[in-house]
Amino acid sequence: MSKLLIDVGSTYVKVCQKSGISQYFRDFKKDIYDDLITKCGDIFSQYKKEDIFICSSANGGLSTLIIGLTNSFSLKFAKNIAFNSGINIIDTILYSKIEESKSPGELVDVVIIVGGIDGIGNVFDEKLLRYLEKVQYSNIVYVGTAQDASFLKEHLPNLTVLSNIITHKLHVNGNELKEYLTNLYQADIVGKEDIKHLYEITANQIYSTPYIVNRSLPFIDANFDVVNPFIVVDIGGATTDIHYSRDLVRDNIVSESGYDRLVFKKLGVFKSRETLIYAAKNNEFVYELLAYLNVTENILEEESEKALRILMQLSIFLVLYKVSRLNPLYVTLQLELLKTIVLTGGITKVLNYEEVEVIISFFYKKVMNVHALPNIVMDYDYAIWTLGMENTQKEEK
Amino acid sequence: MMKVVTGVVGNDIHVVANRLIDISLQARGFEVFNLGVNTSLEEFIDAVVETDADILLISSLNGEAEGWCRDLQFLRSEYELKDVTFVIGGNLAVGEAKQSDIIPKYKSYGFDLVFHQIDLNTGLDEMERYMREKQ
Repeated sequence: MSKLLIDVGSTYVKVCQKSGISQYFRDFKKDIYDDLITKCGDIFSQYKKEDIFICSSANGGLSTLIIGLTNSFSLKFAKNIAFNSGINIIDTILYSKIEESKSPGELVDVVIIVGGIDGIGNVFDEKLLRYLEKVQYSNIVYVGTAQDASFLKEHLPNLTVLSNIITHKLHVNGNELKEYLTNLYQADIVGKEDIKHLYEITANQIYSTPYIVNRSLPFIDANFDVVNPFIVVDIGGATTDIHYSRDLVRDNIVSESGYDRLVFKKLGVFKSRETLIYAAKNNEFVYELLAYLNVTENILEEESEKALRILMQLSIFLVLYKVSRLNPLYVTLQLELLKTIVLTGGITKVLNYEEVEVIISFFYKKVMNVHALPNIVMDYDYAIWTLGMENTQKEEK
Repeated sequence: MMKVVTGVVGNDIHVVANRLIDISLQARGFEVFNLGVNTSLEEFIDAVVETDADILLISSLNGEAEGWCRDLQFLRSEYELKDVTFVIGGNLAVGEAKQSDIIPKYKSYGFDLVFHQIDLNTGLDEMERYMREKQ
């Protein structure tokens, strides 16, 4: 391999070349470019800019507010598309209740408005405009009935109008919205000043890491000891991503892709440590889990190697909990059908197989009430990421 | 063209009856949105809202409708669906039941037309007559 592959994470930078993968802890006092040049400048000088490929997940993740006409169609379809584009949903609003709904206190990256099949009009009116006056947002997109687009465009000049996500058969048509959201997510990552600077190192497009990992999924069962259906859990410093086979989802959504992904922006062990601990303390099983691991809740306040290991174990538990039946507000995976759990990302550098098995065993026995565990595969040397990077390059050619 | 949302309510998988209703409605000139079998009441109501349908026609063959349709009045009021006609037909009771008991019960749930163990075409004729009079 005459290529150099680089993954810029929020905590570590991974560098993959023919001789193997090396990783470097980020120096947060420096910007990413300076940090990389200091640590890997010698390596970069051995490659042409065209042969250097970079992806980044540093601080990724956007937030969205979805306003929809019904729970079963508009909100459900939009939520699913948003989750699978790596977007965090901060709230959903049923349009019939918009007058009594509170606006989110924080800045929303993108507002999604959806409702009605094409052909029906006057779904949205002044109520929507009055509500939006109270919301702080950066982007707004409309994916509802075509008949209301001109009224909304007239009053919301920054509105992006895409094709309706609800087809005339009441099926989902998610391609345009998914592409729009994925591009926003991508732009958010590569648009960060730190990342823009990296184009001095590479002549190639910088991608988001979850996108790269997702590209490797169709090839995982041929390259690793993995049986379908599987999930890939990528636990890093700022975010945790789950990539899953669509076979694990039971819904009325017809999708073309075999694999989707969820990004949990606030479940990382370094940059979003506080929100991870907050989520843990609010989980009904966590005190029992800590007792099971022979530690007390004081461990969550410690800054030690042991505390990091416990936090990593909690991350695994919390992401599985979030996609289980006990958390119906999120995408629900049929975890009882799961054959393999693949762990990748920074977690594989901290936890060993036994520590992962303990936590997955607790989850399956306690939450799922089943004793047969899925097969656990640890991707110790970032092979999935390497596979995704290599496949993306091949397709580009 | 009038729009009809149809499907089979609850844990009921009588797909053949569902297809026959779909075909018959289309042959009579309705625009049909068929949600298929195993459909919840909320999903039916939401489909009516999304499509701005004129009629909701629920079918049930295993008698489960009795348990699944009790919240119709509540869901109707959530969206103020005053102009929509609500119709239910099929086998609407578990075991033996008289028309004189079943029809008032379902009307009290909020249905405008109730067809218990009535031939499909007879029921659809009656529904069309009702819609003409309503207009």
